[in-house]
Amino acid sequence: MIDKTSSEIAVQASRHPHISKTSLWLKKGVPTGALVVLALFPLLQIAFDGYNYWLHMLLYVFLYVIMATSWNLIGGYAGYISLGHNVFFGIGAYLSGMVFVFFQISPFLTAPITGLIAMLGGLLFGLIALRTRGSTFIISTIALVLLVTELLDNWKLTGGTNGLPMSMITLEGQYAKIPYYYYLLVIMVLSIFTSYLIRHSKFGLGLRAISQDEIKTEVAGIPTRRYKILAFGISGLFIGMAGAIWGSYLTYLRPSIFLPVNIGTTIVLMAILGGKGTVSGPAIGAAIMIAVNEFVVAKLGATELNIVVTGLILILVLLYFPEGIVGTLKAKNLLPSFLDWG
Amino acid sequence: MIQIIQVLILGLALGGVYALMSSGMTLIFGVMRIVNLAHAAFIIMAAYISFWLFKVWRVDPIVSMAVTMPVMFLVGVLYYRVLFASRADNPRFTDITVLVTFASALVIEGVLSYLFTGIYRSTSPVYATRPFLIGPFFVPQSQVYATLISIALIVSLWLFLQYTRVGNAIRATMQNRNSAQVVGVNVALVSMLSFGIGLAMAGAAGSLLSFIFTFFPSKHVAWIGMLMSLVVLGGMGSLMGAMLSSFLLAVIASYVSFYWGPTWAPITFYLALFLILLFRPQGLLGKKMDG
Repeated sequence: MIDKTSSEIAVQASRHPHISKTSLWLKKGVPTGALVVLALFPLLQIAFDGYNYWLHMLLYVFLYVIMATSWNLIGGYAGYISLGHNVFFGIGAYLSGMVFVFFQISPFLTAPITGLIAMLGGLLFGLIALRTRGSTFIISTIALVLLVTELLDNWKLTGGTNGLPMSMITLEGQYAKIPYYYYLLVIMVLSIFTSYLIRHSKFGLGLRAISQDEIKTEVAGIPTRRYKILAFGISGLFIGMAGAIWGSYLTYLRPSIFLPVNIGTTIVLMAILGGKGTVSGPAIGAAIMIAVNEFVVAKLGATELNIVVTGLILILVLLYFPEGIVGTLKAKNLLPSFLDWG
Repeated sequence: MIQIIQVLILGLALGGVYALMSSGMTLIFGVMRIVNLAHAAFIIMAAYISFWLFKVWRVDPIVSMAVTMPVMFLVGVLYYRVLFASRADNPRFTDITVLVTFASALVIEGVLSYLFTGIYRSTSPVYATRPFLIGPFFVPQSQVYATLISIALIVSLWLFLQYTRVGNAIRATMQNRNSAQVVGVNVALVSMLSFGIGLAMAGAAGSLLSFIFTFFPSKHVAWIGMLMSLVVLGGMGSLMGAMLSSFLLAVIASYVSFYWGPTWAPITFYLALFLILLFRPQGLLGKKMDG
């Protein structure tokens, strides 16, 4: 972890005074092009069928991009590492799922509301837990996951460890994944856009100042506590929404699907591998890790080894590559402009 | 009344093992400021060694402590040497160790699942299922043996820290790393040694709990929450604190399990952890984790 002073940040900000027209075109064009491709991709499935596997993998990628990008708001910008961010995922899935099971209201309608409730939960947890910092904070987030898991395991209404089955979407197999695909795609774009806006706002600057030196930031007149709590809350918003959609996609709710600690760890790994504190880093880290995991499961054929690979990569990245892909490329001025979103 | 005392006895009979499990973790934090989230995973690793020795050669799990303790000591020394030795002066050291040890725990979990599958295991020496009957009270022999051995080990650790040269060096490093270095303590060696000793305690704990609990590779997650609550309540780095909180929480959990059912017992620990972290991070007898 390098400690940048504020003057260095200012220097970095002014490093690109002159951007040529082609590079500006690339900077905007490549992400837009990628988005158009992603938006059109389901047409292949509608027209030819046989692309459900790829839709499923992309759904996975979207889900984790949402989670890693959201985690980055508090873990990357503000430097408060949470190992329990999948709590929001669980909250979203269970809230929407239960409303669906008991009142037959589709998660597609309730997802935004569940997102807001997850955000509220995040604000509440942040209000209490963000009084601590460093390792105390990290451990309190683990405690939160364990606590919520135990509560859901023992709660009769949600079926405890057995879980809660939900009915399937009434679409033919050929089209069944497509509504989920578009819903998650929209949430993903929104989450990245939010991350971008925050990164380029005074709020984001404050958060990054907190990660450098919280006491100096406080002295400089920035309401650090309010900033941290708000960042933690917002980071729950999109994960909660994604959880609602994911629960409906799996048609099954069980604590062991949403709340195992290795999901929380994977989110952290993705964000750090891609580059924590950058806008595009967590998304890239998520895409890479999904590909690696899929490769491990397909080639080595053992899900147990998946967790070994996750753990090993996390150790190596933490010790030897703490700035992540985007962070390192940026420091060496090698980052292609279309990935440099701040 | 008899029931209430019976529950108290069962709680106390587990307290010693909890104390042994948490003693290594608190020692490691005290000396090196490493929050060893892999501690429970190492304990389970030792439990599997005992399980394997029991299954193949019928080695009694208490006897197999003679294997698990030195093996885990070496594992600890190597683990510290490879991952942490050169990073002790990093300002974000404690934060990084939390993540690195947690990632290590996942690696250990994965390897154990691969080798031993996820099936629930335990060793079954003859005393595992026999109770002592004292008047109207019922005490499982296994828990009595485990707790007595645990207390003996913790007391010897305490005597070692209190009355030997190396022990003094370790305590000096706990109190103030820099000053210890100034007065001539080989802090790097002491750190490595303490990590080894901490994991040797984990090794002993693993052997003992192999016959009082069932275990499986992913169980470490539940135990790390429990261990954290014991260590944090006792005060990070305080051996006496860890012992005190182990007996305290073991008894409370035993009552919770009696009145609300055993599935609620873990919540006692997690809730305790959560509340202590937020309202008294320095615990009963210790210092705060961060500055």
